[in-house]
Amino acid sequence: MVELREQERKTLLATEKLGGLASIEQLIKESRLSDTAIVRAALALKEKGLVRIREEKRNVVKLNEEGKIHAEKGLPERRLINALSKIGTKATLERIVEKAKLEKQFIPIALGWIQRKKWATFDAKTNTLQMLKKPEEEIDGKLLKLLNEKSEGAVEDLGLEFKETIQVLKRRKLVEVEEKTRRIIEVTEEGWDTIKRGIAVSAEEITQLTPELIISGKWRKMKLQRYNIQASVAKTWSGKKHPYLQFLDEVKEKLVTLGFKEMLGPTVETSFFNFDALYMPQDHPAREIFGIYLVKSPKYGGIDADRRVLLNVKETHENGWKTGSIGWRYRYSLKEAKRLILRGHGTCQSVRTLLRKDLEIPGRYFSFVRCYRPEVVDKTHLTEFNQVEGIVVDKDLTLRDLLGVLEKFAIDIAGADKVKFKPDYFPFTEPSVELNAYREGYGWVEFGGSGIFRPEVTLPAGIDMPVLAWGLGVDRLYMLKAGIDDIRQIFTQDLDWIRRKEMV
Amino acid sequence: MPTIDVDYADFEKLLGIELHRDMEKLNDILALVKGEAKLFDEKEGLMSVEIKDTNRPDVWNIEGLARALRGFLDIEKGLRHYVAGKPIIEVHVDHRLRNIRPYIGCSIVKDVKLLDTTIRGLMHLQDKLDQTYGRNRQRTSIGLYDCSLITPPLSYAVAKPTEISFVPLGFREKMNLKEILKKHPKGQEYGHIVSGHSVYPILLDSKKNVLSFPPVINSDDLGKITEATKHVLVEVTGTVHETVLNTLTMVTLSLIDRGGKAYSATIHYLHENLDVATPKLDSRLMDLDVEYVNRMIGLRLSPKQIAELLAEAGFGVKKIADAKLSVQIPCYRIDVMHSVDLVEDIAIAYGYNKIKPLWRKLPTTGGTKPEQTLLDIARELMVGLGFQEVLTYTLTNPENLFTKMNCKKERIVEVANPKVQTLTCLRNWLLPSLIEFLGNNLSVEYPQRVFELGTVTLLDEKGETKTRDENRLAAVISHANASFSEIKSALDAFFLNMGLEWRIEETAHPSFIDGRAGTAIVKGTNVGIVGEINPKVLIMWKLENPTAAFELNMQKIVRIKQASH
Repeated sequence: MVELREQERKTLLATEKLGGLASIEQLIKESRLSDTAIVRAALALKEKGLVRIREEKRNVVKLNEEGKIHAEKGLPERRLINALSKIGTKATLERIVEKAKLEKQFIPIALGWIQRKKWATFDAKTNTLQMLKKPEEEIDGKLLKLLNEKSEGAVEDLGLEFKETIQVLKRRKLVEVEEKTRRIIEVTEEGWDTIKRGIAVSAEEITQLTPELIISGKWRKMKLQRYNIQASVAKTWSGKKHPYLQFLDEVKEKLVTLGFKEMLGPTVETSFFNFDALYMPQDHPAREIFGIYLVKSPKYGGIDADRRVLLNVKETHENGWKTGSIGWRYRYSLKEAKRLILRGHGTCQSVRTLLRKDLEIPGRYFSFVRCYRPEVVDKTHLTEFNQVEGIVVDKDLTLRDLLGVLEKFAIDIAGADKVKFKPDYFPFTEPSVELNAYREGYGWVEFGGSGIFRPEVTLPAGIDMPVLAWGLGVDRLYMLKAGIDDIRQIFTQDLDWIRRKEMV
Repeated sequence: MPTIDVDYADFEKLLGIELHRDMEKLNDILALVKGEAKLFDEKEGLMSVEIKDTNRPDVWNIEGLARALRGFLDIEKGLRHYVAGKPIIEVHVDHRLRNIRPYIGCSIVKDVKLLDTTIRGLMHLQDKLDQTYGRNRQRTSIGLYDCSLITPPLSYAVAKPTEISFVPLGFREKMNLKEILKKHPKGQEYGHIVSGHSVYPILLDSKKNVLSFPPVINSDDLGKITEATKHVLVEVTGTVHETVLNTLTMVTLSLIDRGGKAYSATIHYLHENLDVATPKLDSRLMDLDVEYVNRMIGLRLSPKQIAELLAEAGFGVKKIADAKLSVQIPCYRIDVMHSVDLVEDIAIAYGYNKIKPLWRKLPTTGGTKPEQTLLDIARELMVGLGFQEVLTYTLTNPENLFTKMNCKKERIVEVANPKVQTLTCLRNWLLPSLIEFLGNNLSVEYPQRVFELGTVTLLDEKGETKTRDENRLAAVISHANASFSEIKSALDAFFLNMGLEWRIEETAHPSFIDGRAGTAIVKGTNVGIVGEINPKVLIMWKLENPTAAFELNMQKIVRIKQASH
């Protein structure tokens, strides 16, 4: 007994059943195997000498769009003569067309063929048709219907009677004729022998394991095809966090671990919290350390701070109040203090926190703040960016403690090997310190600005103790980590870059 | 931040030491005055130095930089004495200037050797002071003149717009004041400061020759200095007396540092019967508590050590008594407002890097904002549902928010001074940011599934700042077969994992296809919208794939979650 695979056996037996000679199409119907399965099986059978594969060239005829219309409604000349016969033997073209509901574009065709087929005569002067005979069903109409039912057919399969008609319809541009190759499978002598002797089924080699195969236990009889595991596969784009936000999450977690609590505040701020309460005078270049977006409308808001605090700030600006300072020496405007702006830095939130009734002492606070400044966007500037900053409040804090906080950040957050401190300037801190962190492979990075809030900031808010204020240059750090040198990349709109950016 | 041009060789000469073009060393030195060398042109020997301190105009030029650094470099310690000789010029001030530009200060610096670079440096300083300290000449403006061409006394007077004519700087023909405002570029730039008045300020000498038309332009005859100028008249006019005097000090000192000898002017405010001698170059005194210094820095410095460090920073110490120092502050250190300013200079002189950092153990507990945990879970869920998180700007424009979303314009937070026309307002909903994102990724592989948890800002009369921020969560799915059921399925999974039961109610929204949009309702509250994006919107963003989306108000969801606990 010859051993064949299941699909080969099915194909061979199906061919036998069809008289030892069958096309692929016939085999599909008979065996219920797929096209590719039959072709594959046939090729295997051919190799074993059990079948021959013959290729037959055939002309396939198919209706086109117009042909389909006529197949359904009848040829235009037929529709015209049918309509005329319903009216009588003679009528105006207009009337017949209306009766036949014939589309305008088919009128000339119908007129031409109705005369050519000698069914009627047309008098152009009176625009009337005179019926000559009422025709039987025509062979061209029959063919159209036939083709419409089968959707296509080989010229060779159609009866001889249609041969000429096909040419006519082709000329009338109602059908398309195309040469196609058809495969015919034929059982060889050896094949017949094999069928006679009986066929054993060999273990089947399959590609896709299916639940059916597993449940039924059929998989045991089958051989799972070996794959080319080197072959490339379709890309999967994982859902994931934005790489920069993921980095900020990590920073946030570290700050929380170090005992810092998150502060909050609004996007639209008053000048009071953005500037005045930070001892940045209303009309002085010190305020121009950065530009600010002004809100178009409404222009002024309220200030939810104790009236006393407001007046303390006013007096501090004007004459130093009780802070020991000489002040900025100008007339402070309470109206200007209420001017609405988009916050320009995160320090507004530190001031708001200092004014909170539930301020903890000692307290460590931080905030992640979206800030806005009317800057021209380039490689190093954004008009909208994030700041990470915060404060430490306790009695007896000193510059040494500030340096301690900065060193801790450099090591815990930036993974620095060593730090360096430089004098810095902020209108609201004195002394002010710039933090530089060194990390092998990164070099020196400016990693933060900081200082101790000026007495002109803390005392008017009712805080009679040092407040260490710090800000971290996390953007710079992220850029180094992510290997980018353009700050705009943080807000990149390039989905492909984000998709490909590794998470660690 | 002020940036100043510095001639390297000149700088070394003013400092009195060689720096050997060692940039690291140079930057360490500049750091003492919060400066940093930004550009260095080795061939020309020129560098550009950025000064972080916006409140120290005394270091906004090369002379001032050198002046501030000599102490730190041990070249010249202690208070630097600047004096101005007795008054040699008188200036009469017309009282009609009272509401226009009432104050003037003058000084005369004789025997200055002016090189081309020095003059350029002076012009830069003048410019910077005019722009920043002088508020674009509104508050103060500076004029420099060749003293030998002027016949004192001067009169700071007023003139009608067509009363006086002179040749303005850079021009050949005489013009009256009105014509200057119209035709001269400086007139067009600064004319608005005085044009509202019926008379304009004018500075004349005794022969009625025009020195300048403050704050607009000097005369071409008298109002310029050249390398041939030996004696310089400095004049500052303005609206705030203190600023006028400070500005005069800065310019005068630079000329003194260039080897000149300064003389005073007497300003007669006739109407007020007041005579003022300018410039004011005296130092002032400030008490400094030793204990305060140590408490701030965290060191144990003796009064003597502190005095030593102050000297390095250019201050004098008049006496030490009862653990208090009486500190002499030079006239140019107008930034010193509080003893804390002295503390910083002491710390800088001591050396920040010599102070040992201290990490103090404080009993504080860290924590994020209360809703953070829920927001983080929401993000995790979206990631788990296969969405890529993105980050977009909250600044946008009404076209993106409304027109291109097929919506009617609503009232939003707009800025009065946008920098570019595409960023003029804060977004009041999040979805347009994501649709814009898709629009920027037309050629990137589909399906695209992205989300953002971001802030939107809405107008709110009740709020302190007339607005309120809201956290929103928006997600979009875009590909050839994207559909309502796909986004609804994702949203369903989201709510399931948030532990919230939700239902959907059909709604009409112009950004979505009619009959394919719904309101998400949790516990009777509308918490967001979900649906398939209207093709009208898609084509405006050139999107060719069906797109489905949702936007949720996380503020409301957090509130519902918190209430149910």
